[in-house]
Amino acid sequence: MLIRVLALSAGLAILAGCAAPTRYIDPAADDGAVALTMDYRDFDKAATDAVEDMLSSGAVNNPNGGRYIMVVSRVTNDTMQRIDTDQLTKKIRVALLRSGKVVTTTAVGLNGAEDEMTQKARELRNSEEFDQSGVQRKGSLQAPDLSLSGKILQRNHKVDKEQQVEYYIQLSLTDLASGLAIWEGETPIIKRGSDKAVSW
Amino acid sequence: MKSVLLAGMLVLGLAGCASQPETSSVIDRAELKVDPEVIYTMDVTELLKTRLEQPGGDSLLQVQFAVEARSDTELAWNVTWFDASGIMVKSVGEGYRKATLLTGQTRYFNATAPSTRVTTFQLHLREPK
Repeated sequence: MLIRVLALSAGLAILAGCAAPTRYIDPAADDGAVALTMDYRDFDKAATDAVEDMLSSGAVNNPNGGRYIMVVSRVTNDTMQRIDTDQLTKKIRVALLRSGKVVTTTAVGLNGAEDEMTQKARELRNSEEFDQSGVQRKGSLQAPDLSLSGKILQRNHKVDKEQQVEYYIQLSLTDLASGLAIWEGETPIIKRGSDKAVSW
Repeated sequence: MKSVLLAGMLVLGLAGCASQPETSSVIDRAELKVDPEVIYTMDVTELLKTRLEQPGGDSLLQVQFAVEARSDTELAWNVTWFDASGIMVKSVGEGYRKATLLTGQTRYFNATAPSTRVTTFQLHLREPK
């Protein structure tokens, strides 16, 4: 009995020793293995490509001076994975805000305001409980000038004994005054790997 | 009186020993940093920079570089941006951008500064592991 317990303990100890230790990954210095699914590095690349192209093309230069106001519209996930497209749009929003050229409104959205507090705060109007000098006035909200929309596509192919997974991150920036797409971009992300790996 | 003088000298002596924080200095930072492994497989044939005029009189720094491969190889590159004080300006992504080069191929890459505050940069080329 004792021998069995000892052997089992030794086996567990060896297995625990072989397991990869949990560690932090620094996104600025990650040379780790590539997954067939979309990972943070893919969103990083797509956001970098999009923002650099928007800035260098002059599409986000407001001819009237000041910053453009952007609203995030629908970014469709047409892949086999569950992707929260905010992972992409947030990076773009943050970078555009830092550039000083675009600010994003959270008061308007396809499925209601991203931050409902903008409207809630206005419900305090005429409330005797609140000092009205601090309550937001009528007509103070700013309407968006630009809308960011897009789609993420996935296509799978079998190449020899491997599989090729293609992702296309397509984005458009629409001028809401004219309805014209003043900037469009596509970042293809192509991966090839084991046919046994899953891309969903 | 003697003790006051001694205390004064001690304080001055200690103040002299304390390291003074560097508040401002001109940093001579190389614009191009190439790892030795990369030099074996490719040549950096050009490094260009231009400023894109913006409304309001500002301008945006844009960098372009070209590499010519002597053999099939892989490259990772990253541009770090700095403002006039030499302080790093955050870019959109943090990671290295990867590229594959075929023998004899010349590829051109460019990067645009994330803000008009950027005045200088450092381009780092390395071999991905």
